[in-house]
Order: sequence, then C-alpha cells, then structure tokens
Amino acid sequence: MSSKKLIEEQIERRNFKKGGEVSSKLKSLLRKLGVDTQVIRKISIITYELEMNIIIHSEGGKITAVIANDKVKIIAADDGPGISDVDKALQAGYSTAEDEIRELGFGAGMGLNNVENYSDQMDIQTSKGEGTTIRAILNV
Amino acid sequence: MKKHSVLLKEDKCEGCTNCVKNCPTKAIRVHQGKAKIKEDLCIDCAECIRTCEYHAKYTETNTIKETEEYEFSCALIPPSFYGQFNEKIDINKIYKGLKIAGFSGVFDVAMAAEAISQKTKKFLAENDGPYISSSCPVVVRLVKLIFPELLENLVPIKSPVELMAEKVKREVSKKENVAKDKVGVFFITPCPAKLTTVENPLGQEKSFLDGAISVEKIYNKLLDIMDEYDLQEKMAEDENDYEERPYLGISWGQSGGEEEILNDYDERDTISVSDIKEVKGILEEISRDNIRGIKYFELVSCPQGCVGGVLNVNNSYQAKYNIKKLVEKYRNESPEKLIVDQDFSAYNYKLSQKFKATDVAKLDEDLDKAMEKLTAIEKEIEILPGLDCAACGAPDCETLAEDIVNGQAQRTDCVFMLRKRVGDLADEMSTLAHELPPVMSEDSSEESEVDNNNETKVDN
Repeated sequence: MSSKKLIEEQIERRNFKKGGEVSSKLKSLLRKLGVDTQVIRKISIITYELEMNIIIHSEGGKITAVIANDKVKIIAADDGPGISDVDKALQAGYSTAEDEIRELGFGAGMGLNNVENYSDQMDIQTSKGEGTTIRAILNV
Repeated sequence: MKKHSVLLKEDKCEGCTNCVKNCPTKAIRVHQGKAKIKEDLCIDCAECIRTCEYHAKYTETNTIKETEEYEFSCALIPPSFYGQFNEKIDINKIYKGLKIAGFSGVFDVAMAAEAISQKTKKFLAENDGPYISSSCPVVVRLVKLIFPELLENLVPIKSPVELMAEKVKREVSKKENVAKDKVGVFFITPCPAKLTTVENPLGQEKSFLDGAISVEKIYNKLLDIMDEYDLQEKMAEDENDYEERPYLGISWGQSGGEEEILNDYDERDTISVSDIKEVKGILEEISRDNIRGIKYFELVSCPQGCVGGVLNVNNSYQAKYNIKKLVEKYRNESPEKLIVDQDFSAYNYKLSQKFKATDVAKLDEDLDKAMEKLTAIEKEIEILPGLDCAACGAPDCETLAEDIVNGQAQRTDCVFMLRKRVGDLADEMSTLAHELPPVMSEDSSEESEVDNNNETKVDN
C-alpha cells in the first residue's frame, strides 16, 4: 500500500480564530478516503487538541498528517517552552495554561489526555526551551 | 418513489449559480445553463428555494383535493402555523375554516410536541449526552451526510408530527369506525423537508402521514373561506368540538421553543441554534469535542426555526413574535405547565430504526485508489485559479477539481483555464504560422547556417 501526506500546515501562536481549520480539513480528506467515521472522529478530536496546544502554549509550530500502511500518523511539532512534567501533563484536568487563557474557556487540561485516550499509539518528545513533538498514531 | 421535494423549473432557471453557492451540501451544479440537483447530496433544506431570484426552485406538495380520496381526512397543524396569524385571532376559527375547506378533523401537533418534550427530559436524565434534537429532518439528513460520527448523538425519539400522525390514525379509525387506510392524515407543512419524510421516513420504516400540503396553499384557501363565510356563526353549528387551545407545545414552532419547554422541566443545559449555516458550525464543534457543559442541542435548519420555513407566508420574525404572544397568553391562563403526557401513554416514543450514514463522500471503495484520486484532485486544485467564482457551475474550485477527477467536468469548464488555453493556442498558432514546410524553408538548406537567412526567416 502506498503512503500519502494529507496535511502539512503551519500553526501560529495565539491565532485562536484559525483553531480547528486543520482538524476540519483533515476530517474532510479522510472522509473522501472512506476511513471509518468513528476513527475519523478520534482523529478530528486529536488534531484539534494538538492545534490548540500549539496555539496556546508554543511560539508556533507545524502539524503534519500522513496515511500509510493502514495507519494515520499525526505529528505536531512546535517551538515552545517544552513540557516539564510529561506524566502530569497527561493527567485529565492538569493544565499549565495561563489564567487569561483559562478565562477564555481554553486550557481545561483535557488536551493531551484526550490525545492519549483517542490514539492507538502516542509519544512525546520534549526538551525544555526547545520545543515539543507529539506523534499520535491511529489504525484505520 | 420520489426521493426529494425540492424541484427545479428548468424554463425559469437562468443558470446564475446563486443556488450552487448557497447549497450547504454542495449538491447543485449548473450545466448547459441549467441547475441540476445531485440527488445523493440533497437534504431538502430548501436553501436554494430561498436564494433563487428567478423562483426556479419549487416544491410540489399534496393538494386539498387529494384528501377527498379518504373517507375521513385529517389536517395536522404544525406549531409554526399559528405564527401566520395575528395573535388576536380565535384559533378555533382556523379549525372551523379547515373543516369548511374539506378536512373531516383538525389536530394539533403542538400536543405531541409537549409529550415529546416530556420524554426528551426523561431520556436526557437517563443517558449521558450530548444529544441533538432529531425533530428537524434537515438536521438529521445533514448529520447522516456530513457528520456521520454524530449519528449516535441524535435523540432516538420520534418527531412531534410523526407521533401525532400515529395517534390520529389509530384513534380516528377507532372512533369513526373507518379502516386505517381510509383515514388520510395530512400535515400542513412549512417546509419541503417534512414532505420528503412522508415517502422517505427517518428512523422508522414507514411514516404515518399520507401526505403534506404546503402552508401557503392552506393559507390561501382559508382566506377565501373567511371572505365567504362568517366563521363565528359557522362555529356555533358544532360548538362542542372546540377545546382549550393552543397547547404550550406551539412554542416549538420557533427556535428556542423546544429548549424553553425543557427549561420549564429544569433541564437547563440546553442551547438552541437555527439556520443551517450556524447548525453546520455547531455540529463541527460538537464533532471535535469542543463544546462543554451543554447536554442538549435544539438544532433547526431554517432561520428562526420552523416559522422560517420557505412554505410559510408570514415574515419569520413576525411569526416568531405572534407565537411568543400566544405562549404568554397560554401561560397566563393555564398555570399547570404541561398536561398531555397521559394522552400518549399508549404510544411508543422511540424510533424503531437506527439512523444510518449516507455514505457518498468516499472517492473509491479501495483505499489505494481513493488515495490516487485524492492526489489527482490536489494536483487539479493547484492548477485551478482558486477564486471560487462558481462560473464553471460548481460551487468552488475544490469541488470542480473533484468533479474533473470523477469525470463529471472538464478543466476548461473554468473560464480562466479556458482563457489560458485559448491564449496558449493563439501563441501556438502564431508560432506555427511562421513555420514553413521543409521544402520551402531556406532554413533547412545546408547553407542557411552560414549566410544571412535568419533575417529572411523572421521577415517571413
């Protein structure tokens, strides 16, 4: 089976207005490929969370999605502060979002938790001050 | 079997692409100067009827004449219908007028709406949401087509009109001693979408409705009758037939009404959204799990709710106000909030079938082939100008690209591509015009390289 890059999009820091565009675009592409609707929903949620993570926490980054060998891989790479405690960051409700962001209704601390719950495989590479790369893989 | 209620009068279509651009499911293309609706993608939302300046889109509902085929004909009045009249009108006059028009009985869907509200409240208490109202058939079809991941979120409860139709059919048949198939149940419909559900029901095998007649047809008939008769006088003939009306359920006729009744029942985590563009937006948010705290979404396709249906006659805001006034009046007169649950205890509220996805989005059954097609579409999108002008007859460049790859359109359907193509051809022709056959071309002779023949060639 062949592989194909579906998405490669830059995400800007604090551009909330564009939040969700990548997720919507990816969803529509996966529907055209005939991927199972429940898997698409998971991918759509994961991609949205990853987009919002970059918008909220980083200096900007990039989301790439590839389909290959019956798997969809979503990679979110950002230039940001890095995650200091990954285990904590994965807990439901844990958030390091600033108060102003929380007041806006974002940063509820469900982001990474959702990404982990909905993906079949996930890994986080992060180093302080340099950035974070999150890979989420789903079987389709 | 008729699949859709939204139809096109070809002779009126000017090929302007207004409908193409406003169709929420991208179901329309203009070819050879005429709009064509792709049946698989149409959800009967009637946005094209709303936006067509030439009134080329229409809907063909049943006629009052058709009700005569039945021994006993019933008119079901939707909540939104009350908004068509001044709030001061005596509702019973409308009932009498409909009887003079030929209906043997007149029934109020608002009654079933109240009962459904009660059941919805119970359902929400017993199940974890979020849930989406399945009352608007356009919303259900939109979910089936574009948001299949949310099918499980649609409340599996019948719509008020279906529940009412079932009750009327059964009870009239018994009371009047007429066989069920001789009882004709007709909905006075504010939208084509409800008409479609008569033949293509959602979530159940068969509709209990026998037809649907547009509000405008009924309204005009009522006006004639009011001119001809003194309805007050006529009402005295069968005085006992009239009861306290309307029901509080009439608030369902405008957006926020279903929500209001649920709030009455202390189910407050609700929100109401109307207008299909807004509805699409909120469904997208629900789908990506970005809405918190809301347990129930009242979603309706038409702006302002059913009062915004294209078959109504009154302005939707006026109608919304009229209903508001009637609801206030009702609340002042009847402090008991809702009354009707017991009337429906013999009926099953649950839909008998699960909603199924309308799967037409995929490019190919085979994933590899679909990926190839997707790559071809991406290439085509790169080539097309990206102006989304719709002059090609498709709503945007992306859709044209898909149509091209699927063999349903050509690249030169795009005026810019055509212009470029013509330009390229003109260039090529000009170049060719200067080419000479080898026997004539001095260029081809051996000496040509050495002497001044180059100049001669240019002059040619």
